[in-house]
Amino acid sequence: MMPLGHCLALTLGALKRNRLQTVLAIVGMGVGVGALVTSVALGRGAQQAINDQLRAAGANVIVVTAGNYLQGGGNVGTHEGGELMGTPNGPKSGEDGTSHMSYRGMGAPWGGRFIKVHEEDDPFAVHDHPTAAQRLGDSMAGLGAAATLTRKDADAIRAMSGVQYVASSIQEDQRLKVLVEGEEKTWFTYMRGTDDTLPMIRTGWVFPRGAFFTADDVKASRQVMVLGRVAADHLFGHDANPVGQTVLLWNQKFTVVGVLGSRSWAAQPTPGDHEFDAFYIPITTVQKLLDLGKLNTITLTTYSVGDTTQIAREVVDLLRQRHKINARMPDDFTVRTEAQLAIGHGLPPDVARVLAGNMAGMDQITIGRIADSLKRANNTMLTLLAGVATVSLLVGGIGIMNILLLSVTERTREIGLRVAVGAQRSDVIMQFVGEAVLLSVVGGLLGTAVGALASGSLEKLFKYSIDISIASSLAAIAVAAVLGIIFGVYPARRAAGLDPIEALHHE
Amino acid sequence: MSIISLRNLTKTYQMGDNTVHALRSVSLDVEQGEFVTIIGPSGSGKSTMMHILGCLDRPTSGQFLLNGRDVSALPRDELAGIRNKQIGFVFQGFNLLPRTTALENVEVPLLYNRPAVPAAERHKRAMAALTSMGLGQRAHHHPSQLSGGQQQRVAISRALVNEPSLILADEPTGNLDTKTSIEVMALLQELREKRTITVVLITHDMDVARYGTRIVSIRDGQIVSDKANAPMRAAEVMTPRSVVNG
Repeated sequence: MMPLGHCLALTLGALKRNRLQTVLAIVGMGVGVGALVTSVALGRGAQQAINDQLRAAGANVIVVTAGNYLQGGGNVGTHEGGELMGTPNGPKSGEDGTSHMSYRGMGAPWGGRFIKVHEEDDPFAVHDHPTAAQRLGDSMAGLGAAATLTRKDADAIRAMSGVQYVASSIQEDQRLKVLVEGEEKTWFTYMRGTDDTLPMIRTGWVFPRGAFFTADDVKASRQVMVLGRVAADHLFGHDANPVGQTVLLWNQKFTVVGVLGSRSWAAQPTPGDHEFDAFYIPITTVQKLLDLGKLNTITLTTYSVGDTTQIAREVVDLLRQRHKINARMPDDFTVRTEAQLAIGHGLPPDVARVLAGNMAGMDQITIGRIADSLKRANNTMLTLLAGVATVSLLVGGIGIMNILLLSVTERTREIGLRVAVGAQRSDVIMQFVGEAVLLSVVGGLLGTAVGALASGSLEKLFKYSIDISIASSLAAIAVAAVLGIIFGVYPARRAAGLDPIEALHHE
Repeated sequence: MSIISLRNLTKTYQMGDNTVHALRSVSLDVEQGEFVTIIGPSGSGKSTMMHILGCLDRPTSGQFLLNGRDVSALPRDELAGIRNKQIGFVFQGFNLLPRTTALENVEVPLLYNRPAVPAAERHKRAMAALTSMGLGQRAHHHPSQLSGGQQQRVAISRALVNEPSLILADEPTGNLDTKTSIEVMALLQELREKRTITVVLITHDMDVARYGTRIVSIRDGQIVSDKANAPMRAAEVMTPRSVVNG
């Protein structure tokens, strides 16, 4: 076998002699590879943009709320129902059918805050477990709801596969007090005791001042606080920096560590929005100060938007098992996907009621479906682009074959001589395939550079979402090399098949 | 043992409907250290003979023993190995690779040695071959920068680099002027005398044939005469100075 170094020198020499054809062949291959790299970058970028947007929209968020605000018959929210929300086929119990419908129609668990109806709140109901009133301290958890969720539940959910982040929360309305320049200011707002993971779940959040509290703060139950934009503005004045200041809650001193704002113009902080007109403190601090063991909500995200509905079902199964709820009993918690919450969001309560009450599968045609169809559309685009790129690659490959065939004809005497002095078939084939691979790899490198440049400018000029990966660039170069081999074999075999006697006398 | 032994060698070609008999039952033995010139007009079959002797072609029938081994029916790649190791070719048109230095040209046969020769070793051997031809100073010149005589000397260096036992020269002086031709013949004679390399030279020129120790005439695919010759001394014909200057 010919040494690689000589093969390379030889190849370079041959290519130098046919400079124009060499350049054209390399450009041809470069265009093909460039098109491939660009289309893959565009496709991956689009895929990621869709995922990011869906995540930002909360399509992968699941909220588990303590208590089940759906009152009534045993079929509501039961396991056999197979529905997260319960079956829509009307009240079987027959008693108080209207209210049954209306509560279910409230859609969002937040809605339940205003109309607190739970089995435990029915003074005539007989319970097989201690009610909220009997559980000392838990009534302090706010909402007066059945506090059925624990940190252990949250840990169990965190251990599920496909679950990305989990944050447990306790929330209720609270009064905050500050002393600014000797003057006492108060603001009645929404408290949320939660985990440090919440900002990971709420991807639309930004922190114009400071940052969210840390895992250490949670672990050590520190008295630190993150103020929502609205609360901060009301307590400290517009655009003031409250980080480091002290705020009083339950007459306890809390240090402000951050201010929470919104990334999106679509969700501007407004008074009463429970997100930015709110404050956040470590859940452990709330539990310690109030001596609470239970949670109001567990919020979690899934890695994939497509898995959200499935994981929501699994959470229902898990919690029913953990809470030892038998098949006949309703859930003592509510699991909602953000998609479900979105249905009712912004609608007049009547409409929301009708929607949610009558269309049980409504959530399934929302964001999840949109995500799927967006991805399908993007895949179609990708396939098209990849098709175009493949055609250009083929054209590039044929260009290489062309220059090699020309080269074989031009160098017939050389081949004849090499065979005469002892070159075997494999030596000749190696030489020409080597040339093809060199041409195509150089073309591939050039194409990758051009593709990266083109993708980069698309990103800069047209704000396209681009994702260039080293792996895909390497793959493109590998594809070019393989094409070089494929298109080099025919000319190489022709060269190796030459009769040395004729080749030596070729003019 | 004869270095070359042809036994009833026949070669026929099919040209359309006609069968061309290029060689008709040729038998010939060449001993180690002979300088055989094969002479014949064009179409006599001398080129066919040359190709068969050079293992570039196979006979239709008969035997060709090279160094005692029958090579008449060996597969293509094995013949390539034999050409590489045992035969050195000198062509009329030199067949040097253009835009490639003299040194690299001489290295070409070494590239196809099995097992492979390391680059440094290739370099050394090629340089030694060139130096023995008086071209050490020209090793890094391209063929286009060399005279015809120098080019043929590069080609002879290439033929010698694998230390073959047989040099096959096909009209080696066909493209050279008289003076340069004589120099090349002197080199070939020297190879035979100093290294006992067997030389088989094919020509149509009786002046060139006279440098051999044996002249074989061939016509219509048959040997018509085969006689020993008191070779003309090329070194005596030319002035010694011209060997150095080429």
